[in-house]
Amino acid sequence: MKKLFDRVFDGADEMYALAEKAIEDAVAKLGENTPLSMPNTAYHLANYLSYTKRQVTTISELKDAFEEAKTWRVREQNLSAVFRTGFGTFMAAETIEACKYAKSADPYEGNYHGHLSDAEVRELGVPLVTNDIPGFVVIYGRAPSDEEAVDIIKGYQTRGIFVFLLGEIIEQARRLDLNMGFPVRVVAVGPDIWQVAHIISFVNRAAMIFGAVQPGDRYELDEYTFWRIHAFVNVYEPVSDIVVACGGGAIAMGFPVITNDEEDMWAVPKSLIIQKTTPDFIETSLEARDIKLKITNVDIPVAFSSAFEGEIVRKADMRIDYDGSRFDSFELVRMAEAHEIEDHAIEIIGPDIDETPEGERLGVGIIADVAGKNMVKDFEPVFERNFHNFINCAEGIMHTGQRDIIRIRISKTAFDAGFRLKHIGEILYAKIMSEYESVVDKCSVKIYTRPEDLKTLRAEANAVYDTRDARLLSLTDESVDVFYNCILCQSFSPSHVCIVTPERLGLCGAVSWLDAKATNRLNPQGPCQVVTRERVVDPEIGIWEDVNENVFASSHGNLESVSLYSIMVDPMTSCGCFECICGIEPFSNGVVIVNREHIGVTPLGMTFPEMASMTGGGVQTPGFMGHGKHFIASKKFMKAEGGSLRIVWMPKALKDLVASKLNVTAKELYDIDNFSDMIGDETVAEDPEALMEFLAEKGHPALGMDPMF
Amino acid sequence: MTFKREPQVFGASITEVEFGTEGASVVFGGANTLPLYNFDAQAKHRALVGIEISDKGPDRSLPELSAFYSGAESLSDIASRACTAPGADFVSLVLESADPNGDNATSEDAAALAKEVAVALAAGGKPVVIQGTGNVDKDQELIPKVAEALQGMNVLLLSAKEENYKGIAVAAVTAYGQKIGAESSVDINLAKQLNVLIAQMGIKPGSYVMNLGAAAAGYGFEYISSTIERVKLAALSQNDDALQMPSITSVAEDAWAVKEAVVSEDDFPEWGPREERGIEMEISTAAAALAAGTDAVILRHPASVKTIADMVAALA
Amino acid sequence: MALKGIDIFKLTPKTNCKDCGQPTCMAFAMKVAQGTVQIEKCPHMSAEALDALGEATAPPMKSFRIGARDEEYALGGETVLFRHDKTFVSKPLFAISTAPDAADTTIAHACKIDYERIGERMCVELIYLEYSGDKAAFAEAAKKVSAAGRTLVLATTDADAAKEALAATSDGKPLLNGANPSNHETFAALALEYGVALGVTADNLDALYDTVREVEKAGVKDIVLDVGAISVKDAFANAVQIRRAALKSGDHSFGYPSIVNVSALAPGDARMQTALASVFILKYGSIIVMDGMSYAQALPLYGLRQNIFTDPQKPMTVEVGIYPINGADENSLCALTVDFALTYFIVSGEIERAGVPVNLLIPDAGGYSVLTAWAAGKLSAGSIAKFIKEEDIESKIKNRNLLIPGKVAVLKGELEESLPGWKIVVAPNEAVSLVKFLKEFKAA
Repeated sequence: MKKLFDRVFDGADEMYALAEKAIEDAVAKLGENTPLSMPNTAYHLANYLSYTKRQVTTISELKDAFEEAKTWRVREQNLSAVFRTGFGTFMAAETIEACKYAKSADPYEGNYHGHLSDAEVRELGVPLVTNDIPGFVVIYGRAPSDEEAVDIIKGYQTRGIFVFLLGEIIEQARRLDLNMGFPVRVVAVGPDIWQVAHIISFVNRAAMIFGAVQPGDRYELDEYTFWRIHAFVNVYEPVSDIVVACGGGAIAMGFPVITNDEEDMWAVPKSLIIQKTTPDFIETSLEARDIKLKITNVDIPVAFSSAFEGEIVRKADMRIDYDGSRFDSFELVRMAEAHEIEDHAIEIIGPDIDETPEGERLGVGIIADVAGKNMVKDFEPVFERNFHNFINCAEGIMHTGQRDIIRIRISKTAFDAGFRLKHIGEILYAKIMSEYESVVDKCSVKIYTRPEDLKTLRAEANAVYDTRDARLLSLTDESVDVFYNCILCQSFSPSHVCIVTPERLGLCGAVSWLDAKATNRLNPQGPCQVVTRERVVDPEIGIWEDVNENVFASSHGNLESVSLYSIMVDPMTSCGCFECICGIEPFSNGVVIVNREHIGVTPLGMTFPEMASMTGGGVQTPGFMGHGKHFIASKKFMKAEGGSLRIVWMPKALKDLVASKLNVTAKELYDIDNFSDMIGDETVAEDPEALMEFLAEKGHPALGMDPMF
Repeated sequence: MTFKREPQVFGASITEVEFGTEGASVVFGGANTLPLYNFDAQAKHRALVGIEISDKGPDRSLPELSAFYSGAESLSDIASRACTAPGADFVSLVLESADPNGDNATSEDAAALAKEVAVALAAGGKPVVIQGTGNVDKDQELIPKVAEALQGMNVLLLSAKEENYKGIAVAAVTAYGQKIGAESSVDINLAKQLNVLIAQMGIKPGSYVMNLGAAAAGYGFEYISSTIERVKLAALSQNDDALQMPSITSVAEDAWAVKEAVVSEDDFPEWGPREERGIEMEISTAAAALAAGTDAVILRHPASVKTIADMVAALA
Repeated sequence: MALKGIDIFKLTPKTNCKDCGQPTCMAFAMKVAQGTVQIEKCPHMSAEALDALGEATAPPMKSFRIGARDEEYALGGETVLFRHDKTFVSKPLFAISTAPDAADTTIAHACKIDYERIGERMCVELIYLEYSGDKAAFAEAAKKVSAAGRTLVLATTDADAAKEALAATSDGKPLLNGANPSNHETFAALALEYGVALGVTADNLDALYDTVREVEKAGVKDIVLDVGAISVKDAFANAVQIRRAALKSGDHSFGYPSIVNVSALAPGDARMQTALASVFILKYGSIIVMDGMSYAQALPLYGLRQNIFTDPQKPMTVEVGIYPINGADENSLCALTVDFALTYFIVSGEIERAGVPVNLLIPDAGGYSVLTAWAAGKLSAGSIAKFIKEEDIESKIKNRNLLIPGKVAVLKGELEESLPGWKIVVAPNEAVSLVKFLKEFKAA
């Protein structure tokens, strides 16, 4: 078996010989001083310019340049020699083509595209840089059949991939009248392998124009083509040595080659891939080059828009009612490995809507499996919670609840329009892929409707929910490396910044540490940024140098320092969205907490709006602080001042909401049973005197604590 | 005892951005003090005042405006006339005809019009700003076409928004060497985010300016002025390099669209002639935007242009 | 640095005696810190405590009033250089300048501008009466201005003229603008004698500073600083530097409101006066003197002033109710948005542009924008239904189409439940799409 390297070198020799002959022929017919250029470009022979800095303008200059190109062909058994030879082969190919253009401005007479103008480079370059065109493919050779040739071209077209064709596949496509041309993103470049020079010329010019790569700078050029030009090559068997030589150049640029030829072929992971099943070229290629396709439309038979979010499907209009309150149902997002998922596979296991009588009530289970290089398990619940918003946007579909208490109703109108279970899969697929583009590469959806499946799967889902809940509980400020900030509210409270930690969610109650982390990953320039916490100043009060630096910068200089666990020393500011406000009650050494919904006055003599007016607006007001409801039971709640033991009063509704968790915290930290019973509420006191009486009667621990100031 | 002056000169400065071609170019930015605070340190460049024209022509129902453009029928004549407006540093063409909610002219046709105007303006010695339709989808297609048609003219193209900045930035700046405006809607953090995203496309400072949004006086202008002020303070006092681009504020469209500048004298006789109301609305809004700190304003009426240019000169 | 509420609380008697009118000492202390309650309201504070607090709570810029009765206006009291840092508090007052013999015409001209915009009266508050050598005419004109219900600024450096005019008009609490380095002693005495605020002017900031200190020494408390009329550049530089010295450097001698005479900076050029007045609304003019005030000038200037002096924490709101647009009647469709003034203006503007008759319904949504109001629970199906009932809209309007903002599409179902008989239509997310939407909309 011939070695791959030798095939490259032999192939290069073939190309060089052809080039040599082309020059001789041009000199003989036109003379050495005949000007020579490619049409409509300011970059001369772009491959020569890019590799050797030479600005070739005449046949004699081409001759000289070709002499230099010969030095690029080095028969050494190492990768860099192979890559260099590949580039040399491109220069040899460009030599052949340049000689053609020297003889005629339009050597292909409209039959083939040949050289690409600078205007075309710019036109195609912009969407490639912006990823609006996710990449391009060069297809060479003869597909197993004409039909397959057209299928693969159309397959790439529908995925938005730009297609360059070389060789026999062009004739195959023409026989079936395939529409080709620059506007439809399929370009028949030329009949022979050496017209590959035009495609490489396009790449090299794109690097110079869009990447500001200087001629002769191989390092920058390689970097640019590898990272920025998402190209790859498909070659049908038989693959000759001269094609292998060009393949060497392509691989050097970071463009993987996919072929079905096994003869004397050596697979190289990620670079040279043998795929015997030619219809799978597309999938194999996209994965090899890490090309992710943009999903823009949701393929369902009913309208999809946020305008339908609030729609209610009533009993009379209902075709089917998946009711999680009576039948086993659940929704679940699972992270998986890329190879375990067939992208966009949507499977319905059990009877579909049309196989179920009208008005029927039953259960449903939805599993979305996702994979992605940047995916982390913590995002599973974040995606899952959004199923509700996604599914609700479909006209005639109503979704409520989450986890295993969901309900999905599908209207008769939607059903008549052709809506089936697989469309729920389509919605979830399209939304997950587009909304979480930066972390999800692949997604598949399974929908179950058989009661026996649902019973077991629901149990499995419950186990997952439990693990997640346990993970949430185990997340502490000490167990994570970083916190996040949130500046979502700066539009109306310009100097406020929230620091979100595992044990302290945003004061609005809506942004947990996991939410902030997901927001950051999904939108790295967005409102939640990483806050490191490396240089500790005081772990009890919750002061870190780097947290303060972040607060200073993200408040645009308005706040210098924040203590995460104190309400007395530089307490965290508030935007005005707080769910609750706590404020010190000086007579009991405690704090009063009031939530937004509470209308009456607190024992401080102030109502929620009064306290809000002095706590909001990004101003630090020692003794007063806005926070989320779930922060009350946190072990970090005013830890610096002694923690939740200081709570002496809360509105009854709020107390009932947090009591169980607060009691657990109080038991764990202070060994007090039923602590919430010691806390006053509006039914026992609305002024300090009555409150003190109540606290004394209950023996509230705050009374015995040190004053806070 | 004398009064102790404490000039406020910052270590940071606003990036300079130049547009136009040699002999007919303008620079804005460059200051290391708050805008108009020449008593702290003399600014390198004055704030710029541009005159806006539409490819649909001037509103000839306004007598003073109509007189200014009288005899100018073709778009290039109108453009040449705009060049003569006293105080105008540049001319800004709005490609109104391409608006998909209006005439929906093709991008190619609109780009051809832009080319025609740009040639006339080059002859008139004024740098060119081109404003798109404001429709993100249309602009995404239109602005690259305009950038291509005006290659080599170093024009400022407004605007790239969060939804379409990629294609516009890469095409206009990288492929065709133009300048662009990054448009965000009245929010310092969104402005910063967009600037960072544009920088990530490989676009260098000096190639883009900020368009922080606009509103007429009385119509939520406090959001505009506070955003501009906060951006300038962050750029200078915090040395935030993602906010150090100069800013441009398009006053004309908002000022001429509010009720005060729209209703007729017949309906509101005590308000007086409509044209004067529009002019004063432009003047007041532009003066306030400059006081807040914008580096360039775009106005429609030559009378407003003159007053604002005179004011900028008086404060320089 | 303002004192924190906790620090003030420490100085209170901590008895919750309620003599101050507040239920607890804590509530009292917090409100004092906020500036909404005066420390003097507590009768039990010790002298030492009051002293300590007085020093710490002394504002960086003096606040006082000129004018009397219905024409009393606040000046000064600013604490920040940029409104986003907290808020601006005393809106600039507009004055029209006049010579005594033109007083009648000027007063008539000034009184033409008097209208309401989002709950605020917009008028020329002051008449800037310039002395022209005839004392009797000056005093006579001053009386006319007072009688016309406009507050006076007496602009003269002639002490006798000032005295005569003050004698006739001092109960209207005019501003006496005329002290300078050479006459400040007599003028300080006049200001004290008649209990009026005193305007001080000088050729440069140093001289102005010295003169202010002299006037302060003489016992004058209410001072207005004239930024001068040497040039536009000079006046602007002075206005900024004065305010910056007071608020940033804490120099109390420049901690007073300012007066800017744009009619003298751009004589006869109304458009330039509009431009300069706009600049001084943002940058530290407390009284702005113009040649005149046409509607064309007033509409943008008062709108701008209202915008800039809106508290960033308390957005402007429009009144709850039905706003018929484009001649809407009981058969025209209904559209609903929030009471946040900016939203109202944008939405009503787009509806006007569409030319379709619409009854715009404005419920109480706490003055928030649509999404914020919804998130804060101020705009819910319940609150909308309650509003429709309380305003008795079903008997006032027969049309049963209700457009709701696209951003709260989620309310549709609930609204259909709580408003039987209504067709709830989800309008676009952005107001700018309303024109197209309304033109194409076919009511059910």
